[in-house]
Amino acid sequence: MEPEKFQDTFKRIEAEIRKVIVGHDDAIRKVLIAFFAGGHVLLEGVPGLGKTLLVKAFSAAIGMSFKRIQFTPDLMPSDIVGTEVLAENGGRREFQFKKGPVFAHVVLADEINRATPKTQSAVLEAMEEKQVTVFGESHLLESPFIVMATQNPIELEGTYPLPEAQLDRFFFKLLVTSPTQAELREILKRTTGTESGETNRVLPEDGGRHINDMKQLLRQVLIAPPIEDYVVRLVHGTQPAAQNGTVAPASVRNYLRFGSSPRGAQSIILGAKGNALAEGRVHVSYEDVEKVLYPALRHRIILNFQAEAENVSADQIIAEVVKQVPRT
Amino acid sequence: MEALKEKSERGAPEQVIHGLVRKLTHHALWDALLVWLPPVAAVLYCLLYLFLNLWISPAITLVLGCAALAVGALAIARRYRPNIPSVQLAARLIDDRAAAEDRFLTLATLQPSPTAAFLVSRLRAEAVGLQGHIAIKREFPYRIKRHVYASLLISLAAALLFQLLLPLAHSTLHPQPAHELLRELAQRMAQRPNLLETARSLQNLAAKLEDPKVPPQEKRNLAQEERKKIDEQQKKQTQKQDRELLNQAAGTLQGIEQQSGGAERKKDQDSGAGGIQSNLPQHGQGEGKQSEGSGGDSNGELDAQLNNEMQRGKMAQGNPKEPGAEKNPGDQSGGIGDQPDPNKAGKDQSKERAGKTEGGRDERTGRGKVSEEIPQGTPPAERFYKPGEGESQGIKGAGYVTVQLPEELAAEGKGGGQKRDSKGGRALSSQIPVSNVPLPKHVPDAPAEKQQMPLEYRGIFR
Repeated sequence: MEPEKFQDTFKRIEAEIRKVIVGHDDAIRKVLIAFFAGGHVLLEGVPGLGKTLLVKAFSAAIGMSFKRIQFTPDLMPSDIVGTEVLAENGGRREFQFKKGPVFAHVVLADEINRATPKTQSAVLEAMEEKQVTVFGESHLLESPFIVMATQNPIELEGTYPLPEAQLDRFFFKLLVTSPTQAELREILKRTTGTESGETNRVLPEDGGRHINDMKQLLRQVLIAPPIEDYVVRLVHGTQPAAQNGTVAPASVRNYLRFGSSPRGAQSIILGAKGNALAEGRVHVSYEDVEKVLYPALRHRIILNFQAEAENVSADQIIAEVVKQVPRT
Repeated sequence: MEALKEKSERGAPEQVIHGLVRKLTHHALWDALLVWLPPVAAVLYCLLYLFLNLWISPAITLVLGCAALAVGALAIARRYRPNIPSVQLAARLIDDRAAAEDRFLTLATLQPSPTAAFLVSRLRAEAVGLQGHIAIKREFPYRIKRHVYASLLISLAAALLFQLLLPLAHSTLHPQPAHELLRELAQRMAQRPNLLETARSLQNLAAKLEDPKVPPQEKRNLAQEERKKIDEQQKKQTQKQDRELLNQAAGTLQGIEQQSGGAERKKDQDSGAGGIQSNLPQHGQGEGKQSEGSGGDSNGELDAQLNNEMQRGKMAQGNPKEPGAEKNPGDQSGGIGDQPDPNKAGKDQSKERAGKTEGGRDERTGRGKVSEEIPQGTPPAERFYKPGEGESQGIKGAGYVTVQLPEELAAEGKGGGQKRDSKGGRALSSQIPVSNVPLPKHVPDAPAEKQQMPLEYRGIFR
């Protein structure tokens, strides 16, 4: 696939999503980057900001199958991955695998932190392995496959915060913020009037193949070794303990319990490649890295009690790391 | 033409990057050279200066010159090597100037990969398009760094200071003898037709001045005479250069006169200081006036005591140039007093050595009479030299002055003063005291010489 075609498709999908979503341009772009990089996205924001609508619009734009799972405390793993049911087939009774909602190209795990850890962990295998195992039998998931989970940062009562291992499986964590006044006005205009935006399908019928080509191209994007070194130094910079004789910045030492895993570095580089292609370039620049650094690392660095007590956010610490780590 | 040249420079982006690397490498080399060449040149100049002035031998000059060059080369290499730009740095510089969003960096550092060949060629094409935005020669000119100026200024200042201060230091440490100065002047005068006669005369004078057998007085007289001649000749001379030479010669001769005068005074002083000690036999002969008030105490004893007191005063002070009256009055007033003083014991011992052991004497009376006289001649401070300071006849290697009295006098001193009154004069005149300071020639029946008490020691005896 030509880079221009990638950029064209990317821009068209963006434009289609923007028909129904007002604002959140950055979130939209990052969702698309994560999708073409083969990752999953965790959307965090208070209710009513359009998280679910964003996911729906995205799935409509790419024309892929979409399933929504509303996570609740009583949700069982089988409700997600599916189960064996006894069915009659030609007079014979046999167990048949009944696919759960996870068998879709785009899966919306709404309020994922409301389900029990057992149910949450059922999604883990699906996210990482792109397959589920039921009664000892593995079932491959659709390709392309993306899980877009949402969680509410407030109303934490009765919730089960995602464990670090599960958080690490999300490619990006995107913060969905409140709209500006102009955006809110536009939202009101679109939702309270007679006119309503509708997302059209961008990709052709064989969208899966098209998407796979785009994914392939993304991985071929050129990245200079010094930029890779920069990513490595950034990720190492989040480690509170000294690494290779380098001492972490004071904020990292004081406020972090654990630094980013190698998955963080992978996400940064793939995200940077996606960003470069989206901007019509075939090579990664330092700016691309810095643009995807925050969503790639903010859920991978574990704050300690002191940081929570002092209301220090992960983004603040990442900003400090960026300041401390030189490009060359 | 310029545009054509620039176009020809634009090859592949990699070539542009390597071209910039070469250019920046040259910059780094120039930088290192410009920083370190001035100090090396300054050192070489100083060596040459030393060599030309015959202060160091050619071999040493060569060795030191080679060492300076080697150190300079090392310093240049040490400064140059870390500043050699990398391909990455050059690529980043081009990216910044051309707003190329790290295209050149990627091209310069990317490992060749067949899978993404089409992307690389596309990237190269983009980079070629951006090359038009930059002209390496114009964008990266060599600019002299601030530390180059600093190095140049410091080196210049160091060389100038060296040239100015070294002769001064050399002349201070190794003053040129007067006769050599005169010879130099004579040589210069010999080149002037009008001053040939003066040059010869100065050569002769230099030879006499060099001769150790010629007494200082004579040297001074000769210098004085020569100076007068030169002064007269100077008035007659019309040429400026001749006048200057004569003026220099006059100045040098004046210096010689002063030196000779000073040396003579020193000699007089030395003999005067010795006189204090050498008074012993002479005073012994004619004890009278000074011992009148002391109830029959001999002048010889008194002077010997004074001499010892002075010497001890010098020792107690440490610095003989400091006035003894400041320290010693306390010691003296307490000499018979209560406070134990280490000097006191020494004083008493020396008194005994001087033969003054009988008690009940009123020393103050005698001392008062002596000290009322104002000393004449050489200033008191010049009368006593530190060990080794004096001229050939001065005190050498003496921590303090020692006087070995004639045996008879010593015996009298130990035994008491009564016996000495009757016999002492003749006995002393028959023997000569021995001292480590030069004593005047002993004349058996010469009249007694009175030595005045130096001002700074008056307080000691009060």
